[in-house]
Amino acid sequence: MRRAVHGIVDFLVGDDIGIAVAVALLLAAAWGLVEAGGEAWWVLPVGVPAALWLSLVRARRLAR
Amino acid sequence: MTGNVLVFLGAALASAVEMVETLTIVLALGVTRGWRAPLQGTAAALAVLAVLVVVLGPALEAIPIGALRLVVGSLLLLFGLQWLRKAILRASGFKPLHDEEQAFADGVAAARAAGHESAGRDHYALVIAFKSTLLEGLEVAFIVLTLGANQGATGIAAAGAVVALVVVAFVGALVRHPLSRVPENTLKFAVGVMLTSFGTFWAGEGVGIDWPGSEVALAVLIVLTIAWSLAFTRLLARQASPVTA
Repeated sequence: MRRAVHGIVDFLVGDDIGIAVAVALLLAAAWGLVEAGGEAWWVLPVGVPAALWLSLVRARRLAR
Repeated sequence: MTGNVLVFLGAALASAVEMVETLTIVLALGVTRGWRAPLQGTAAALAVLAVLVVVLGPALEAIPIGALRLVVGSLLLLFGLQWLRKAILRASGFKPLHDEEQAFADGVAAARAAGHESAGRDHYALVIAFKSTLLEGLEVAFIVLTLGANQGATGIAAAGAVVALVVVAFVGALVRHPLSRVPENTLKFAVGVMLTSFGTFWAGEGVGIDWPGSEVALAVLIVLTIAWSLAFTRLLARQASPVTA
């Protein structure tokens, strides 16, 4: 059972849980902006590459 | 129309990448232990995957579109970013490129070391072929189902996967050698771009975003994702020292 849960988490989250956390935060922020009546279309196109860049920088640091 | 073409291409490319990896394992088993058991294991796994797609496909399409787009878009975005991350780290030299020749050699060595049962079915080859096809295939099935269900085009996505399966199986049967010349990392990069763009678009719609230009925004997202992914690869490559497999 533990192995199955670990497998599913690994399947969905991959090598860096930071990306999953960032995606969740970005979607929450976009939803919040939409609910507040603001423009939210820019949140993901700006936030998604930023999240990946941070993950790549972390990977680079670990590789050295 | 454009959306359906992109769904077809995304499903076909993602399937091809995973199938090349599976083909390497099945070939290693076939050339060392005979073809019967590996082909039986592969066929059994494909049957399980086909049942999953047939059962889950219509079930997914029955879920309210807003909820489906949020959940599936988020998952596609996570998948896409994982694929892009791996492809960028490999292309920039921070991770070794996946080497099908090496994977094939490792598979052959493991298959030889496992030893043969004196008579009857070759359980080792059967189980390894089944497991590897099922595991790689699950990822393909997930991408096919989610891409297809969100666009209301599960059949088109499944057709993309089937075309990829036929092409990879045909080429594999012809050459009987790992497909080491397939630019796997480039394919992975392309699939990562597609999944990230589709995921951003659908997850955004799921939380209530009205994209400027409606579906045109998807094409813009694809172009933007290609641009920043290439920029990240270049930036990282400048700082990398060569990594060997």
